[in-house]
Amino acid sequence: MSAATQNVYLPKPAVLQRVLPEIPEVKTFYWHFEDATQQQEFHKFRPGQFAQISLFGVGEFPASLPSSPGEEETFFTIRKVGSCTGELDKLQPGQKFAVRGPYGNGFPMEDYYGRDLVFVAGGIGMIPLRSCIVYALEHRKYYDRIQIFYGAKTPQELMYMPNLREWGQSAGVECYLTVDRADANWKGHVGVVGSLFTQPGVSVAVANSTVFVCGPPVMFRFVIRDLLAMGCAEKNIVSTLERYMKCGVGKCGHCCIGMAYVCVDGPVFTYEQIKKLGEEI
Amino acid sequence: MKARVLAKSDVLAVVDLLREQGYEVLAPFCGRGRDTYFDTVTDANRDHIQIHLPNPYYPPKRFVFPHIERLMKAERNNGDLRIEPTYEAPKRAIFGIRSCDLAGIYHLDRFFLGREFSDIYYEKRRRNLLLVNLVCTDPERDIGKECFCMCADTGPAARDHFDLQLMDLGNEFMAVAGTPAGEALLANPIFRKGTEEHVARRRETLEHLRTHFESTMTSWFSAAVRYVSQGKVTEKTWEEIGQRCLECGGCTYVCPACTCFTVTDRQVSATEVERVRVWDSCALGGFTRMAGGFNPRRAVHDRRNRRFFRKLSHYFIQRELSMACVGCGRCAAVCHGEIGMPTVVEMIRRATAEAEAK
Repeated sequence: MSAATQNVYLPKPAVLQRVLPEIPEVKTFYWHFEDATQQQEFHKFRPGQFAQISLFGVGEFPASLPSSPGEEETFFTIRKVGSCTGELDKLQPGQKFAVRGPYGNGFPMEDYYGRDLVFVAGGIGMIPLRSCIVYALEHRKYYDRIQIFYGAKTPQELMYMPNLREWGQSAGVECYLTVDRADANWKGHVGVVGSLFTQPGVSVAVANSTVFVCGPPVMFRFVIRDLLAMGCAEKNIVSTLERYMKCGVGKCGHCCIGMAYVCVDGPVFTYEQIKKLGEEI
Repeated sequence: MKARVLAKSDVLAVVDLLREQGYEVLAPFCGRGRDTYFDTVTDANRDHIQIHLPNPYYPPKRFVFPHIERLMKAERNNGDLRIEPTYEAPKRAIFGIRSCDLAGIYHLDRFFLGREFSDIYYEKRRRNLLLVNLVCTDPERDIGKECFCMCADTGPAARDHFDLQLMDLGNEFMAVAGTPAGEALLANPIFRKGTEEHVARRRETLEHLRTHFESTMTSWFSAAVRYVSQGKVTEKTWEEIGQRCLECGGCTYVCPACTCFTVTDRQVSATEVERVRVWDSCALGGFTRMAGGFNPRRAVHDRRNRRFFRKLSHYFIQRELSMACVGCGRCAAVCHGEIGMPTVVEMIRRATAEAEAK
């Protein structure tokens, strides 16, 4: 019991700067802490970490940090899905809410130096992976090939499209997109994201690759199956899990999966770890 | 540890002593029938304090981890947002806390203060709390048929984690100090030096008490821990346990070692909101349900499995350095489906031993 125990549950006021629509029901909220020191402190986060967003009167919820610490602005990309996210959606630029964090382990990006990075995202699973992609591009010389496989239900639901176009044009970056249902304007691939691996001209060097997988549970299951069939080692598949959370600091008990607290032991786990958690994910 | 004796007639003088020192003293009282409860001692109820009585179902863990606790206030004013933490940590003493509940508080200490993040609300309350443990010595009134502290290795006489321990030796009580705060109390003239004879009587009383515990079945604790830790419990056993769960959450609310909570906001005025935390239960269907409706633990047996896994798996015992079950038997007393800890331990042991024999 030290005298200097911090109050880990206390969020700090933050100001909403502007809101950009991404895809239907999903928007990006640019924000900063009211207090500049707080902002500086927060900005030391790692890709894959998350924060707790407070809308007083409604509640608090965890959200991934889609920006890279190297980017100047901090933002959240949020799907309007429940009462808290609905309340955030109503906020106008200049209005205040509250944030605490960053929490969680994040991706150990330094451990992947010298390797190929393969990003496999489904739908809004792109949100946490965006942070890693931007980070990898900022530290380009440390990584070998970068491949992005991204799938959504429809072309309208592919998010961060301006970013994706830009990334696809960077040297040594391959970007493959797919949709479940095409529309009249879609000229690209149609099918689940795993079907991209077997497209002509696509080759994943599994032995030297770290594969980031993030998406809905069904997508996750099938992509893992495909990757294992391709010979990818379980320890080289990393993902970030999401759970209902109240505290973010390993106390409230809601996010426990088997032996792990997603908030403090995760949210980033290798597939090797996920398999051993002792509970279905 | 320093030990003293005091006359039976002086036991409640310990309560007076604490009250004089400015403590809000919480002590056990009898209601109707089996109903017993901890309440604040006043001049009016002081003489009704019960030394020997069935342990209250509502555990004293609420004095460090209240079932509902305000964490902060937030005020909106002309577009500004001010957030103030709210702390409440009265100087309190629990008189007559049983050894199992003492172990519960020790488990909470490890959980709330010993992990990656320390919980300041718990810490403030805990730092102001003095614990006067009472050894369960009366086989009729103290030891219930659900008690299994012997198996959980927490009682009937706690070995440590108390400030002061009192034990009934007949006409006298033995008082043992566990901390400097407890030792300071022993300076009062009501306490006298004990003799060899007192120590011998204490030993005899404890030996004799061993025979009064009914639930012999719970002595299979270690086997159940091993089976759960090694993943040997079959899905069928978990399903059988799950089918008996009525999802009332009672077991978690009476458990001295359960820690889960939810957080909720309530509007207290037009501009002010307070954020409170409330005990939650892994038995309830919405415990893991995420926004949008996806619930990773849909089946009831997934959730029951969760509770017993959390309490019995070796991994968590190592992590918290103590098992999240203190043998108080409250879950067994309140469960409508007869799946309190002792029954579950027995179900796991029997089913798994049978499966292994095949």
